[in-house]
Amino acid sequence: MAPLSLYGVSNSLVSTLLLHLAAVLPAPLSTLLSNGDLILLLSVLVFCGTLLGASLLNTILLIWFERKMLGRFMDRRGAMHVGYAGLLQNFADGLKLFRKHTFRPQDADPLGFFSAPTAYMVASIVMFGILPVSTGWSAGTLPLSLLLALVVFSFAPLFIFLGAWSSANKYSLIGGMRSAAQMIAYEVPILLAVVAVVLLSGSFDLTTIVNEQRNYWFWGPLFLALIVFVAGMLAEMERIPFDLPEAEAELVEGWNTEFGGMLFAFFMLADYARALVGSYLIVLLFLGGWTLPSWVPAPLTNFPLAGIFWFQVKTYLVFGVFIWIRASLPRVRTDQLLRVGWMRMIPLSLLSIVLAALVVLAKCLPVFGCLPSMGS
Amino acid sequence: MSESTTAESNSSVLWVAKPLITAARQFGKSLLRPSTIVYPFERLEDPKFRGAVRIAPGKPIGVGQVWDNYRGVHALNIETCISCNLCAFSCPDLCIDMVTVPGGDPKHPKKCPQIDYGKCSYCGFCSDACPEGCLSMTTRYELSVSKRSDMIYSPQRLEEVFKAKLPMSPIRVERPKNEDAILLDPPLCIGCNACARDCPTKCITMVDLPKPVAKAGEKLPKRIWKEPVVNDSDCVRCGTCISVCPKECLFWGTHR
Amino acid sequence: MWINMGPQHPMTHGLWNLRVKIDGELVLDVDPEMGYLHRGIEKISEDRHYNEIITLMDRTCYVAGMAWEHLFIQAAEHALHIQVPERAQWIRTMSEEFQRVASHLMWYAAFVQDIGLMSPFLYGMRDRDLVLDLFQSYTGGRLTYEYMRVGGVRNDLPPGFTDQARKVCDWLSDRFVEYDRLCLGSDIFHRRCDNLGVLKASECIRYGITGPMLRSAGVARDLRKDRPYAAYGQVDFEVAVADGADVTGRYLVRMEELRQSLRILRQTLDWLDRNAGPVMAENVPRWMGAPYAPVGREGYLLKREYPKGVGFSAIEEPHGEALAYVVNEGGEHPYRVKLKSPVFVNIAAARQYLVGYRVADIPPIMGSVDVCVGEVDR
Repeated sequence: MAPLSLYGVSNSLVSTLLLHLAAVLPAPLSTLLSNGDLILLLSVLVFCGTLLGASLLNTILLIWFERKMLGRFMDRRGAMHVGYAGLLQNFADGLKLFRKHTFRPQDADPLGFFSAPTAYMVASIVMFGILPVSTGWSAGTLPLSLLLALVVFSFAPLFIFLGAWSSANKYSLIGGMRSAAQMIAYEVPILLAVVAVVLLSGSFDLTTIVNEQRNYWFWGPLFLALIVFVAGMLAEMERIPFDLPEAEAELVEGWNTEFGGMLFAFFMLADYARALVGSYLIVLLFLGGWTLPSWVPAPLTNFPLAGIFWFQVKTYLVFGVFIWIRASLPRVRTDQLLRVGWMRMIPLSLLSIVLAALVVLAKCLPVFGCLPSMGS
Repeated sequence: MSESTTAESNSSVLWVAKPLITAARQFGKSLLRPSTIVYPFERLEDPKFRGAVRIAPGKPIGVGQVWDNYRGVHALNIETCISCNLCAFSCPDLCIDMVTVPGGDPKHPKKCPQIDYGKCSYCGFCSDACPEGCLSMTTRYELSVSKRSDMIYSPQRLEEVFKAKLPMSPIRVERPKNEDAILLDPPLCIGCNACARDCPTKCITMVDLPKPVAKAGEKLPKRIWKEPVVNDSDCVRCGTCISVCPKECLFWGTHR
Repeated sequence: MWINMGPQHPMTHGLWNLRVKIDGELVLDVDPEMGYLHRGIEKISEDRHYNEIITLMDRTCYVAGMAWEHLFIQAAEHALHIQVPERAQWIRTMSEEFQRVASHLMWYAAFVQDIGLMSPFLYGMRDRDLVLDLFQSYTGGRLTYEYMRVGGVRNDLPPGFTDQARKVCDWLSDRFVEYDRLCLGSDIFHRRCDNLGVLKASECIRYGITGPMLRSAGVARDLRKDRPYAAYGQVDFEVAVADGADVTGRYLVRMEELRQSLRILRQTLDWLDRNAGPVMAENVPRWMGAPYAPVGREGYLLKREYPKGVGFSAIEEPHGEALAYVVNEGGEHPYRVKLKSPVFVNIAAARQYLVGYRVADIPPIMGSVDVCVGEVDR
C-alpha cells in the first residue's frame, strides 16, 4: 500500500482537474492551466484549505465535547437542542456571534484592539500546519518541527497582553499581566520537559519522535516529564485550576472582558485551538502519536485513516482528563501558581532530564536488552 | 501577609485525589441518569413525572401535589363570578382591574377581574379572597410575551385558562365564622334600596318598616319606610353595599 | 489604582459596589457602597395591611424569604397581642429550618463558584431544588412563599408531606459528605481558604457581626439557643462553632449548621406527625377580603381597630441575627416597621477582613460572608 499523503492527494486532484480542463478549453487558456507553477499553487491552497477546515472543525467538535462532558460532570446534559445531542450548537453560537456588532470601547487603541484577536487566532491556527496528525498529513518533514511548534505556541502571551492593554480596562490589564506572568513562568518547565523527550528520541522532528515510540511510549520512562508537561499545558491553556487570567469570580472575564461579537469568537476559538494543540503535543510527545502497541490486533490498525482515528481518540482522552480536572478542582491564586511554577516545576523538569539521560545511558548498556537501541 | 502563612502551613504536594474521585463518581451516575430534564420537550407536569417527580437521580421527590399547588396564572370562571371586587381589593400590587364583560344586566353590568401580570406578584391573596372559588391559581407558568400589553390578561383570556382544565391548588383557605359583619345604623337609613340592588349575592332584602305617626309639630324624616336586612350566612363581606350607600349608614362591625 | 467591583460583578452576588484600591495584586483599601437595591420596603410597609407586608418580606431576602416572613410576623403578632397555636409554631420552625438549608445550599453553590470550583455549584443548586419542591408542595411558591399569616400559617401540611421531607433530609445528609470531599478534601481549597479573611472574635463583636461569621470565630452565639422563639426551645441541637475565624472556619460552621438543621427538621417532622391541631389563631381576621382600599375609593371601608402596641422580634436568620420592630398606632397598617439586616453589618466591616489580602482573595472572602443584597438594602 503506497503511503497516502494529504498533499499528494490534493496535488493529484488539482493536476487531474486542471489537465482535464486544459484539454477542453481553447489554446491560450489551456497552456495557462497546464502551467506547473499554477498546479503547485492551487494544490498548496487546497492542501491548506483542507487542513484548516479539518482543524477548525475538530476544534469546534472539541468545544462540543467539553460542553457535553462538563455537563455530565455537573449532573446536567449540556447542549441538547441544535442538531443531534447539540452537535450543531457551536455553529449556531458562532453564527450568532458573527451577526453581532463589533464594537470598541472609546479609549481602546484600535490597532492593538483589533489586531490582537486576529494575531492570537493566527498564531494558534498555524500550529495545525506544524503538528503531524498522522503520517502524510503534513506537507513535508520539518527537521525542527518541535522547536517551531513551541516557538509559535509561546507567541500567545504577547498577543493576549496586547489585547488586554489596548482595551483600556483595568480588569483586562490585570488579566493580561497575570496571563503573561503565568505563561512565561510555565514556558520554562515545558521546554525543559521537552528536552527530556528530545534526549530520549534523539530528534527535534515530531514525526521522528512518534516513530521512535513504535515500541514503547515515552510516558513510561518520562512520567515525571509528562506530569510537568501536563501541568504546564494546563497553565498555557488557561484552564482550571490555572485559569486565573480569566478568573470570572474576580476579573469578570479577564483579558477578553472588552471583546464582543466576532472578536470574542476569535479569542474563544483560538483558546480551544490551543487546547487542541496542547492535547496533540501531549499525544505526540508522550503517548505515541498515531502508533498503537504491537499487541493490538491488526484489524484495529489496518483500516484507512487508522492513524488519524487513533490519534484523535488519544487526543480526546487527554482532553477528557483536562475536563475532569476542570470539573473537580478550584482555582489557585497567582502567587501560588507562580510559586509552584518556578519552585516546583523547574526542579522537577530538570530531574526529568536527568532521568531521561539515565534511560538513554541504560539503553546503551546491554543489561536492558529489552529496550531497542537508538538508531544512531 | 496571607500567602506566606498559607503556603507554609500546607506545603505538601497538591493533594487532589478526593475531589477528582468524587467528581468522577458523579460523572458516572450522571452519565446514566442526569438530574435535569430536557425542558421544552419534557415537562415536570407531564403525567410520567406525576406522583413521584424525579429530581435527583433515583430519588422520587414530591407529594403528588407539587404541581397542583403551584401559584401560576389565574383561572377565572366567568359564569360563577359574582363581581364582588374582593380579588381587586385584596391585591397588594393593585394589578387587578374589574372590567365589564358581556352578558350582564345593562343597568348593572357584570364586572370580572382583569389581571396585569406585569405587576402581579403571585401571592395568591385574590384566590384566597374569592368567596365563590371562581378565581384560582393554576399550574401554568409560561408567561413570556413579546409585548408588554400582552401581559394583561382580560377575563376572557383568564377563562381560557380555566377551560384548559389545568390542575388547581386543592388547598383552599376556609373563611372563618367569626369575621365582621355588615351592620346598619338605623337612624341614618333612607331606605333607598341601593345596597340591595347592588349586592352581588342578593343577600340583602328590604323589609318594610312601620311608618310612624307624626306627632304634632314634628316633621317625619323624608325617606322610604324600608330597611335592609343582611343575611349573614350568604354575605361574602365584599362591602359593595357600604360603598354604594349614599348616607354612609352601613359599616363593619361585630354582632353583639 | 482604584477598581470598582460592582455594581454588576460576579463577586457581588447581587447589586452593590466594592471599591478596591489595589497595588498589583495586593488590596490596600476597600470601600463598600450599598444602596443599589433599595426598594423602600420599610416605608411601603407603613401603607399596607399586616398580611400584605408578607409579600414584601419574601422579597427582602430572596434566598431566605421564609425566615424574614417569620421575623416580621412574630413582631406583628407581638404588637397585636395575638397568640399562635402550637402546631403553627412547629410548622414555622420547620419552614425556617428548611429555609436555612436552602439558603446555605445556595451559599455553598455561590461560594464554590467564587473559588473557581465549577461542578459543586450545580450540585448545590440541584439539592436546593429538592427543598424548594417541598416548599412548593405546601405553600405553592418556590421562592416567594406568602405562607405565614398573622396568627398562624395559611394552610396545614398536605398528606404525605412529612415522609417526603424525611426522604429529602436523608438525600441531603448523604450529599453533605460529597460536598466536604469536594472542598475540604482538596489541597487547593485549603491553600485558597485557610487563614483568609481573618476577623477575630473581639473584632466581630466590636463591629456587631453576627451569624456564621461570629460563630466561626469561636463565639457560640445563636438566637435559636440563646433566646428561643417558635418551637426552638423544644428541639435538641447544637450551635455550630469553629475556631480560625477564616474562610475555612465559616465553611465548616455552615456545613455543620446544615447538619444541625437536618437534625432539627427530623425532630419537627416527628412532632408534626404526632400532633394535630389548628394552624390559625381563632381571633384573627384571617380572611384577606377588603383589607386595602384601592386608589379612588378612599373612605370605602371603616378601618378595623387593632390594639395599640409595639412589637419586637429577633430570629437567627441564615445570614445572622435579624431584628424587626413594629409600631402599631391602632390602625390596620403598622405605623413604623424597622428591620435590621445582619448582612448589612457584615459587609460594612469589609475593610477589616479584606485589606492586606490579594485581589483573587476578595471573592472567596466575600463569598464566605454570604451576601444577600436584598436584605442589605431592603
